[in-house]
Amino acid sequence: MADMAVQSDVMEAAGPYDRAKALSAFKLGDLTFYWITRISAISVLLILGGIILSLIAGAWPAMKEYGFAFLWTQRWAPSADPPVLGALGPIYGTLITSVIAMMIAIPVGIGIAVFLTELCPQMLRRPIGIAIELLAGIPSIIYGMWGFFVLGPFLANTFQPFMIRIFEGVPVLGAVFAGPPSYLSLFNAALILAIMVLPFITAISVDVFKTVPPVLKEAAYGMGCTTWEVVRNVVIPYTRVGVIGGIMLALGRALGETMAVTFIIGNSFRISSSIFAPGTTISAAIASEFAESDGLHQSGLILLGLLLFVLTFFVLAGARLMLMRLEKKAGK
Amino acid sequence: MTELSVSTTVASHVPQVPLPEAPPKVTVRNLNFYYGEHHALKNINLTLGTNRVTAFIGPSGCGKSTLLRIFNRMYDLYPGQRAVGQLMLDQTNILDPKLDLNLLRARVGMVFQKPTPFPMTIYENIAFGIRLYEKISKSEMDDRVEKALRGGALWNEVKDKLNASGLSLSGGQQQRLCIARTVAVRPEVILFDEPCSALDPISTAKVEELIQELSEDYTIAIVTHNMQQAARVSDKTAFMYLGELIEFDDTNKIFTSPSDRRTQDYITGRFG
Repeated sequence: MADMAVQSDVMEAAGPYDRAKALSAFKLGDLTFYWITRISAISVLLILGGIILSLIAGAWPAMKEYGFAFLWTQRWAPSADPPVLGALGPIYGTLITSVIAMMIAIPVGIGIAVFLTELCPQMLRRPIGIAIELLAGIPSIIYGMWGFFVLGPFLANTFQPFMIRIFEGVPVLGAVFAGPPSYLSLFNAALILAIMVLPFITAISVDVFKTVPPVLKEAAYGMGCTTWEVVRNVVIPYTRVGVIGGIMLALGRALGETMAVTFIIGNSFRISSSIFAPGTTISAAIASEFAESDGLHQSGLILLGLLLFVLTFFVLAGARLMLMRLEKKAGK
Repeated sequence: MTELSVSTTVASHVPQVPLPEAPPKVTVRNLNFYYGEHHALKNINLTLGTNRVTAFIGPSGCGKSTLLRIFNRMYDLYPGQRAVGQLMLDQTNILDPKLDLNLLRARVGMVFQKPTPFPMTIYENIAFGIRLYEKISKSEMDDRVEKALRGGALWNEVKDKLNASGLSLSGGQQQRLCIARTVAVRPEVILFDEPCSALDPISTAKVEELIQELSEDYTIAIVTHNMQQAARVSDKTAFMYLGELIEFDDTNKIFTSPSDRRTQDYITGRFG
């Protein structure tokens, strides 16, 4: 009895003391962890802010020289004295190639994702999935070379004459496909971009399609829906946010992709109505000229970079806005 | 003592006079079902009477839900699952591989364990199913949606927010929305797969009441783990165990004087 009393005294003395000490060690760990994660998060803002500031600083001379006219001047003559610089050509090229690329990549990418998740026999699922992942792993310079040596000649010699024959005399569309054949063109670049961004759209769509509860799909099939109706009315609305996220990621990539595009777009600052004519994009213009530039020319290229930044920002903001409206329409 | 009191409460819900025998709507003969190699249903024989409620009870994994999912060929979505035997809906052989599944599923509706509102507005949740089969004007559609929601005992709760998302409703309301959606397509048979297992008691009571009302116009099959529920809502009860149909009889008889020892053990709570 006495023994037990002694023992419990010891435990009472030791117990609370140890616990408090152990807890304080945890607290310190927690605090450290909190600060490490917080600093990591803040560093993103710092880096982003730093990049914007240095871009503005570098672009300042060009901004002062050309003002807003930079946005709608088509002429790009860095060797004139004084140099005449206008960004309209690269902005147009960037938007057009990205829009065409997305017009091709979105339906094809989502189509592949639907096939893989809803229709594909189990046996084919892995090979196709791996092939898509490999597509994402190919370095962009290889796409550029392939576009230059294979896709370009095919487009110029076969596809463009075909389109011209079909649309000859049709207003607007006739002009879109007209012009002398060229291996280097906006359309070539757009096609390459479409292939490059396809894996993003497909991979993310597959992932989010897999999150649709099977019972929800069964419920739709149970009403007598066809596979198309289930995908159209249940799977895609249910995963809308994720799919659009994938598309945005792809669009961001398409707007900024440099190497492959520089290879095949032709680096022409002139705007032509034909998508088979050479053009340029913001990133291609910077990549091809930056090494030999100085002074105002270099500042103009940095300003182009800043514009790409702003353009991407507005496109992403626009996408968010669209998403919010969609959600409102769906009654959330 | 406890066992006795359970069975008396169950029995007190049972209608004293069973309904007259109804002509069969669905006839199941020598039905076997396989998940790959696994023999999940063994030689099932039963009928679902027209405008009657048939309850399926039994411990988890006994094949109740599997059987239900054969009635609308839901198992077809998954490779490796197959049914052998005969399953007639009126004169149609449900197991015919050439059968139009979309039409079959329009005739045999299903309500699931978890509420499954589609990601769209309440109105669209109902209109969606109708639109699959019929082209009707906006005003007609409004009528049909209202009728369906009234049929699902939900109209008064949602009439002012038809454009809200179906997902914004409570669990019980969602389940009644799903029932309304199923009814809107005007099926002949409705399958309920544990429709109340995710609901609170008040919602459960509403859904049970609804099932009773629906049985005036529809042939109903319901899988349930709740034996009082089976006793309350059904006219006939099938007790299944390990993939076999052990006993199939008037609900009254199953819950008061079952003829099989295993049925008795199960309904008195001795296993399961």
